[in-house]
Amino acid sequence: MSEPLLQVENLHVDFQTYGGVVQAVRGVSFDVIAGQTLAIVGESGCGKSVTVQSLMGLIPMPPGRIHQGSARLRGQDILVSKMIAGQDIRGSQISMIFQDPMTSLNPTMNVGSQIAETLEVHRGYSKSEAFARAIELLDMSKIPEAAKRAKQYPFEFSGGMLQRAMIAMAIACEPAILVADEPTTALDVTIQAQILDLLSDLQKETGMAIILITHDLGVVARMADEVMVMYAGQVVEKGSADDIFYRSGHPYTQGLRQAMPTNNKSTEAERTLESIDGSPPDLFNPPRGCAYHPRCPYSMQVCAKQVPSASKLGPSHQTQCWLHHDMAGPLPDGLVSVDGAAR
Amino acid sequence: MLTYFAKRIALGLVTIWFIASATFFGMHAVPGDPLAGDKAMTAQIRANLEAKYGLDKPLGSQYLIYLGNIARGDFGISYTQENRRVNDIIREHFPISATLGILAIVFAGLGGVLWGALTALYRNRWPDVVIMFLVILGISVPSFVVAAISQWSLVGANLAAGTTILPIGGWGTVWHMLVPALVLGLSTMAYLTRLMRSSMLEVVSTDYIRTAKAKGLPATQIFSRHQLRNAILPVVTVLGPAIAGITTGGFVVEIVFAIPGLGRYFVQAIQQLDYTVIMGTTVFYGAFLVFMVILVDLVYGLIDPRVRVEK
Repeated sequence: MSEPLLQVENLHVDFQTYGGVVQAVRGVSFDVIAGQTLAIVGESGCGKSVTVQSLMGLIPMPPGRIHQGSARLRGQDILVSKMIAGQDIRGSQISMIFQDPMTSLNPTMNVGSQIAETLEVHRGYSKSEAFARAIELLDMSKIPEAAKRAKQYPFEFSGGMLQRAMIAMAIACEPAILVADEPTTALDVTIQAQILDLLSDLQKETGMAIILITHDLGVVARMADEVMVMYAGQVVEKGSADDIFYRSGHPYTQGLRQAMPTNNKSTEAERTLESIDGSPPDLFNPPRGCAYHPRCPYSMQVCAKQVPSASKLGPSHQTQCWLHHDMAGPLPDGLVSVDGAAR
Repeated sequence: MLTYFAKRIALGLVTIWFIASATFFGMHAVPGDPLAGDKAMTAQIRANLEAKYGLDKPLGSQYLIYLGNIARGDFGISYTQENRRVNDIIREHFPISATLGILAIVFAGLGGVLWGALTALYRNRWPDVVIMFLVILGISVPSFVVAAISQWSLVGANLAAGTTILPIGGWGTVWHMLVPALVLGLSTMAYLTRLMRSSMLEVVSTDYIRTAKAKGLPATQIFSRHQLRNAILPVVTVLGPAIAGITTGGFVVEIVFAIPGLGRYFVQAIQQLDYTVIMGTTVFYGAFLVFMVILVDLVYGLIDPRVRVEK
């Protein structure tokens, strides 16, 4: 495997609030490989967005604080300084699209100029060159009548169109990584599919890596090469999309999968939609040991006392769960063991 | 767009007609008339004068004559000042009030936007606390107090310097205008500062500012191209009434600084029940206010594309 494009190691982010310190991200490590899609999944408040926003320097500090960890883009640390060779990496090396396209664009500036702005800042294009390129980019993002559209304002666009415009803006400087923070959550289903197709097409054309944040496992199945499952600010399992869907090793991943509606209702178990009991932990005061143990159906005594270490289940598949320890008993149904067989 | 403004202007004319009518009937409902001065006069003289000025006619026909005159742009002749036409009074004195008012609005607008943006940037730190304290002061202290204090300070400063740094009153050069304009614009500046501060704080936390940061724009560019323009919208909205308020409400400042503006005539006329001057100045100020509000709408459309195409 080639050298990863982005290496994040042991990232810790917390927020100082009146109520205490919220430990939003607690030791997250992952790699992003050029041309591949990494999906980060997990329920609301598990630290997905905070993780990527800290890479982008979008965490307001204070109250936010990155107090440990590193993130290296092609070997250069991007947490300490957002600049590489005098250039802001945001918008040029890593760019980002957001959940709600309706509010993510400046309402008083036409769409073309907002795209052109990135090129003026990072590439030193003149106003007219940048605007001409913005029209091409809108065209690449499959917006019809791009030249006319570029002169229009965000309120004249539909939600799906705005997300396309956001994508055009994000790919303007041919970034190495595109971060998509729940890019389809605010859109209706048919538009969702179009946006996802557009992202995969652009990825094929440009060879950029995508970090896709979502809580929709359907989107993950469609887009992801690698998947990272987060819970309470930590990574509980990561592996290839197949590993996560067919060979899950962590009870939380299994819970998420069972909570996914299916069309294939052959067995009784598949007819009922399971949910994970309980609610995510309070990150002011995360549980000791494994953060998932209060909700885990297979929780053991050790789970409440010590943080599990990572168990390797495959070449790039690992999970943090005591069930995979040598001293644990036989694995529950549906979980994959270290030797790779589902029991 | 054009039809929209044609509609606005037509509505504005209706508003002016309403102001004129309300003033006319309100004015005549007040006991006394322009002839009820301190000079005693016989019934015959009085009747002759009333006939001369048309005051003996029924109210309805007086009203129609007034409307006709106003429509022709003729406000008539003052009852109390010999041979002065109201149009001449306005023509002579309004430019002075307007100059003072415009200067005050420039102070208020620039100051409000600047201080408001500054307090928002330094939220809850000492510049914010100090400025917001001054803002409360600026809003709550009435203008005649501020005017008197600033004039007194000017006297002190001139004495200390041994020469006239700035004149303490009167009218003529730019130097005469500075302090009165500042005093006149002060409360509006304070109000605009508060408005700008809150709208700035709102804009800073919006999604599109986050997008601008994610694009890697320099902070100065985010401020000037994305924050300021959006934050200034509510300020522009209140600027129209503020312009009219300042231009018409300046008579206290005009009197303290001995400025021959229109405000003085406006107030005097009411005390003397000088019908034509009251009517003339009120209708004129009313029209001015209506015009300013329409003008601000036009400017608003230039800043915010969303209001341009609608209606």
